[in-house]
Amino acid sequence: MQIENEIRKFIMENFLWDEEVNLSEEDSLLEKGIIDSTGVLELVAFIEETYSFKINDEELAPENLDSIKNISQFIQNKLSFSREGLNREAVRI
Amino acid sequence: MNHFDKKALEIDCLAEATRICEFMRKTVLKDYRRRGVVVGISGGIDSALTATLSVKTLGKERVLGLILPEKESSPESEVFGRHLAEWLEIKTETVPITPILESLGVYQRREAIVRKYFPDFTDGWKYKLSISKDTLEREGLNFFHLIVVDNDGVTHKERLSLNDHLEMVAATEMKQRTRMIILYFYAEKSNYIVGGTTNKSELLQGFFVKYGDGGVDMEPIAHLYKTQVFQLAEFLGIPQEIIKRTPSPDTWSAGVSDEEFYFRIPYDLLDLLLYAHERQVPLEGVSNVLNMPPEKIMRLYKDFDAKNKATWHLRIMPPNLIPSFTPLEDPAASSGVF
Repeated sequence: MQIENEIRKFIMENFLWDEEVNLSEEDSLLEKGIIDSTGVLELVAFIEETYSFKINDEELAPENLDSIKNISQFIQNKLSFSREGLNREAVRI
Repeated sequence: MNHFDKKALEIDCLAEATRICEFMRKTVLKDYRRRGVVVGISGGIDSALTATLSVKTLGKERVLGLILPEKESSPESEVFGRHLAEWLEIKTETVPITPILESLGVYQRREAIVRKYFPDFTDGWKYKLSISKDTLEREGLNFFHLIVVDNDGVTHKERLSLNDHLEMVAATEMKQRTRMIILYFYAEKSNYIVGGTTNKSELLQGFFVKYGDGGVDMEPIAHLYKTQVFQLAEFLGIPQEIIKRTPSPDTWSAGVSDEEFYFRIPYDLLDLLLYAHERQVPLEGVSNVLNMPPEKIMRLYKDFDAKNKATWHLRIMPPNLIPSFTPLEDPAASSGVF
C-alpha cells in the first residue's frame, strides 16, 4: 500500500498538477493521456532512484508501467526478487 | 467507402504535380507576393521533390538551393544535393554549418553525454540514437538507445536516462534550427520564401523539428505520404541515386535510417497503416490486405496515436489568448483518430 501511495503521489504531483482527476488504480495512464513517452521516462527515473534498482529494457512495457496497480506490483516483484537474490548470496557466504 | 488495398496510395502523378504547382504559384506570388523559393537541399528525396516542383512552378531562375553540410552529415548528402542542383540547373549557395554548431556547443554537449555511458569514446567512434523495436512483437513503450560504434566496428548499446535523452535531442535539433536561420537569411535577402519539405508521414507522426525543418513559409508536399513522394519523384525524373537512397535524418555520425531512428517499420507499410487508421478502415480488411495479425496492427495504431498525441504542439501556432484563435489542441488529435 505504501508503494501504491508513493506512486500515486508522484503521478498526481508531476503529471496531473492541480487537476481534479479521479484516477483508479487500474486506469491506463497512457490511454487516459496522463503520461506520454517522456512521462514514461520520468516515471522510470523516479522508480529507479526511489527504489534503487535498474529497470531493464524488456521490462519497459505497459504490463509493468501503465497503471498504478501494475507499477506497484512490478516494484513489489522487483524488490522481492532483489531481496531473494541478497538472501541467496548470504547463504552462499 | 472504406475500400482498402495495397494500391490505396497510388496517385495520378500528373494531376497531383499540377495541383501542387498551382498551389505553389498562388502561395509564392499571390499570397506572399515574393519572387521565388529557397529550398534546403539535403540530398534526400523530400527536398529534391520540393525543389523540382518549385522549378516546375516558377522556373529555374526563381529557385535557390541551399546546401548546408556539417561534419556529421553523410558525404553523400552534399554530393547528391549538388547533382540535383545541376540537374535542375538552379543556383546554389553552400554554407557549412559546422563552425556555427561548434560555437553553440552541439558536438561538445552530445559527446559529453556519450562519454558518460562510454568513457572510452574517442575520435573516430560513431554514434546514433535508435528507437526501441519491441512494439512490433509485443506491447511496448517508446524509448531510445544510444548506439556507439567503436574503431573496430563493434557496436555498443545503452538506454539513455531521461535528462540525457532530452539534452541529446535538444542539442541535435540545433542542427535543423541552424539551417532554418540560414534559409531565412537567403530567402529574405532575395525576397523569396522558404519552401518546406515535410511529408504527411512525418507530419502525422511529429518527425520534424519545430522552428527547424518545420520552420518554413509553405509546405507543398505535406499532404503526400512518403510513398507518394517516391511516386512523384519517379514521375518527375528526379535522379535515381536520390530516389534509391535510404531515407535518414542525417544528424548522427553513425548512419541511421528513418525507420531505425523513429518509425520502426518500412515506409510502404507505415503509410498504408497510417492511411487505413486515418480512414478507419475495418481492422479485418487491413489485416487481410497486409497479411498481418489484427493485434499487431492495433499495437502499431497505438504507437501512431501515442506519437501523434505527444507531438501535437509541433503542428499548431503557439497557444494564446486571442479570441477565436486558441487552437489548444491539434484538430487531428481531437478527431478521435490520431
